[in-house]
Amino acid sequence: MKKVITGNQAVAYGVILSRVEVISAYPITPQTTIVEELSELIASGRLNTRFLKVESEHSAMAALIGASTGGVRCFTATSSHGLAYMHEMLHWASGARLPIVLVNVNRAIAPPWNIWSDQSDSLSQRDTGWVQLYCENNQEVLDTILQAYRIAELTKLPVMVVLDAYVLSHTSEAVEIPTMEEVDPFLPPYCPEYPLDTHEPMAFSVIATPEYFLEFRYKIQKAMEQVPEIANKVDDEFRSRFGRSYAAIERYGKEEAEILLMTSGTVTSTSRMVIQKLIEKGTSVAGIKIKRFRPFPSEEICKEIKGAKKIAVIDRNLSAGVGGIFAQELKASLYSKEERPQIFGFISGLGGRDITPGLIEEAIEYTVEHPRPEEKILWLGLKK
Amino acid sequence: MSKLLHFKGASDMPMISISLGNMDWNKTGAWRAQRPFYEDKTPPCRAACPAGNDIVAFIQKITQGDFEGAWNVIKEENPFPGICGRVCFHPCESKCNRGDYDEPIAIHALERFVSDFASKLNKRVEKVPGVRKEKVAIIGSGPAGMSCAYHLAKLYYDVTVFESLSLSGGMLRSGIPSYRLPKDVLDREISNIEALGVELRTGIALGENLAWDDLKDYQATFIATGAHQGRSLQIPGEKAKSVLSGLDLLRRINRNQKVKLGDKIAIIGGGNTAIDVARSVIRLGKKATILYRRSREEMPAFEDEMVEAIEEGVKIRYLTNPIRIQQKDGLKRLECLRIELGDKDESGRRRPVPISHSNFFIEADSVIIAAGEEIEVSFLPKGIEKREGIILTQRDGSTGIKGIFAGGDLTSNQRTVAHAIGSGKKVALAIHGYFNGKNTEEVIRQTLIGEGPSISIFRHLHPEDRPMDSHVVTFGELNTDYFEPSKRHQESKCPVKQRTKGFGEVTVTFPESIAVEEAERCFSCGTCNGCENCYVFCPDASILKTEDILSHQVDYDFCKGCGICFSECPRGAISLKEETR
Repeated sequence: MKKVITGNQAVAYGVILSRVEVISAYPITPQTTIVEELSELIASGRLNTRFLKVESEHSAMAALIGASTGGVRCFTATSSHGLAYMHEMLHWASGARLPIVLVNVNRAIAPPWNIWSDQSDSLSQRDTGWVQLYCENNQEVLDTILQAYRIAELTKLPVMVVLDAYVLSHTSEAVEIPTMEEVDPFLPPYCPEYPLDTHEPMAFSVIATPEYFLEFRYKIQKAMEQVPEIANKVDDEFRSRFGRSYAAIERYGKEEAEILLMTSGTVTSTSRMVIQKLIEKGTSVAGIKIKRFRPFPSEEICKEIKGAKKIAVIDRNLSAGVGGIFAQELKASLYSKEERPQIFGFISGLGGRDITPGLIEEAIEYTVEHPRPEEKILWLGLKK
Repeated sequence: MSKLLHFKGASDMPMISISLGNMDWNKTGAWRAQRPFYEDKTPPCRAACPAGNDIVAFIQKITQGDFEGAWNVIKEENPFPGICGRVCFHPCESKCNRGDYDEPIAIHALERFVSDFASKLNKRVEKVPGVRKEKVAIIGSGPAGMSCAYHLAKLYYDVTVFESLSLSGGMLRSGIPSYRLPKDVLDREISNIEALGVELRTGIALGENLAWDDLKDYQATFIATGAHQGRSLQIPGEKAKSVLSGLDLLRRINRNQKVKLGDKIAIIGGGNTAIDVARSVIRLGKKATILYRRSREEMPAFEDEMVEAIEEGVKIRYLTNPIRIQQKDGLKRLECLRIELGDKDESGRRRPVPISHSNFFIEADSVIIAAGEEIEVSFLPKGIEKREGIILTQRDGSTGIKGIFAGGDLTSNQRTVAHAIGSGKKVALAIHGYFNGKNTEEVIRQTLIGEGPSISIFRHLHPEDRPMDSHVVTFGELNTDYFEPSKRHQESKCPVKQRTKGFGEVTVTFPESIAVEEAERCFSCGTCNGCENCYVFCPDASILKTEDILSHQVDYDFCKGCGICFSECPRGAISLKEETR
């Protein structure tokens, strides 16, 4: 069934279809309508899920850590300061290997106060041991949640699904909504390896001395390294059941292109149009959409960029002192490779400013015209 | 303690750090600097109840749907729930902490519901055989006398009650109109006391057909003859034959005797008797006007009664002080002075000051004086005297004569049914102590709930029951985060048109569902009701459920003394003190 729904409603549908048993969340703009939608469904009795009211995001994640240890599928959603507040518990969830799924609606972190789209919140959590998946449209939001639970439960790693504030969260699009009967075989019930059982008390997350701590971290890294393969299998099965597919990265545009444009989130949608237009004008350009940020798809990217001379990266985030985070990650991925195109790191759209077709075109034109970037950070649309 | 495992490396390690053993060996309670403990405190309602009702306990029973259990709780302290639930001025509700939150619990209505439920089941108090050798005589079968008889009978004494009138009940029967207290409710609760083996002898008046010498077979006597004399206004004309005393009129109406009254009736006074008279004559088809010398604010009559009276058409003229009653052609003329209010007097009310030369006249067919009541003392033995309008006794009700006790309206100016019930209970305890050579003052001190007036005979008889600290819980000590605002349920009332036609009961008892809803509003101040907030919030899983008198206890092996249970207890039933170990 197709419905015209917002990104946040798509999240709610994803959660319902995943048969989540426990939800705990604290409201924050622009995430709020996700939780409103779900809590109303629960209150009216249409959704048989336990909703835990909490006083903070830190507690929301702590509650889910308890619930997930107890062996149930659980969910939370947040944004910006809420995600930052959760930070300690994000580490705990991954360290305890709990397959929790969290939706983060990308929003800038204050000050100055700002409620609009910006990836700084989720990217600030890149080292917490969570898988991170970025979405381009509302259909992808719903589908990614279904896939996220599958990936999380197979790898025992928590997964963060990320969407842009307002551009997706509060904008309606037509979304194909699968039925419960279609989703159930794709997403079987979660069975924990070490279920918490009060009749057989065990101590979870007990101290690991220096003798063993390193090995536990090694195991998390190994699990992360399995994600690409598992995610591909999950996506294959998803495609066969639902006819839609989401790779870690997607290349579009000219098959052999000298210039590549790498984007994530909704900027990709705009880029598709711009690149199409420039190809028609004769520019040798292709686009790369990056969906999975953690684990970073280095190998997949290296395969897709063969032949490219320059790569423009548009980052809607800033790691002050360095530059855009996607650009950094890309540079690090290429360092050991023989073929190392020039990387043009553009920063644009912070705090929700629109990344217009004009700005994207400007970025590509700059890349075409310059053999290498003149500056470490190329600011798009900066009012000097 | 579990066994330590050794691993070669990551490949044979589990996914997460986990111990298949547990942490029981780690007695983290040793870290504790403060110690939480379960300790019931005194709920303000109960501390305020002159009859000593265990209000929180019976309300808890109602919430559990155990109405019979609620009745059993009430009967431990008070044989008259049907009466108190109807006519008590419910000081418990004035002190109810919920009143500071939204509206107090309708405690009186719940008590009434429980009594009526029990009567429907035909629930009776079980007969107790009088097995002790001591015999007690009680003079007067009003609430004080019958409450004393009830508790003494339950303590296995042989009790005889002497009543001067032909029917028992004292002021309950003669002074309270049946639209407020139907006679069958009174009969049912008195017969319950008789069922215990109490002998009730009516038509026997001390000083008339009963002499003090006749009582020498009784090792103790309790005098509870009440205050049945109308107080005089000390104004010219009040002694005229056609000027009636309010108490006399009520007594006659209550005994279905004929009363001769004109059409327009003036009632002088501002207390409950004045209101009872006014509402009664309205039911006889008359017009009633109350004349009161102060304003509505100072009126001692209960607010609810005044509201109902005004609904029924009673007129009240405030700041009006009659100074003379004249009579002419069957018509009475009341010469009155207008009043202005001066400074506060010793009762805390503003003093009425007559305005000179403000004389005016009110005409009426009948005049009824209801300006308070006085005690009758002519029959009392030498050595027991009236002072300042009452018989002075010790705190335990003992008089100057050994073995003779007095109580109820006779010994107090707080003349309410609940005070009388409490007084009778206190004297029952005192007589019990007296027979057993105990220090009765001390016995009574130990049974005080809070600072009094409330006393509990149950606590005296069951010292092993869950302890209760005398501290009265204040509103500020509650954690109201766990309560949702809700409306107090009102008992429904007969329509005014219908109720002024006769003496049928005005108020209707709560239906079951409403009683349960209203009971669920109770904060259960200071009293653990097993809500389990402590159990849920304890971060160390150190709250244990038990089968003991207290349903929960702290596991001190593991409690670190964080105090979360203490602060999250909605009702102040957990205390916290410094760990002195």
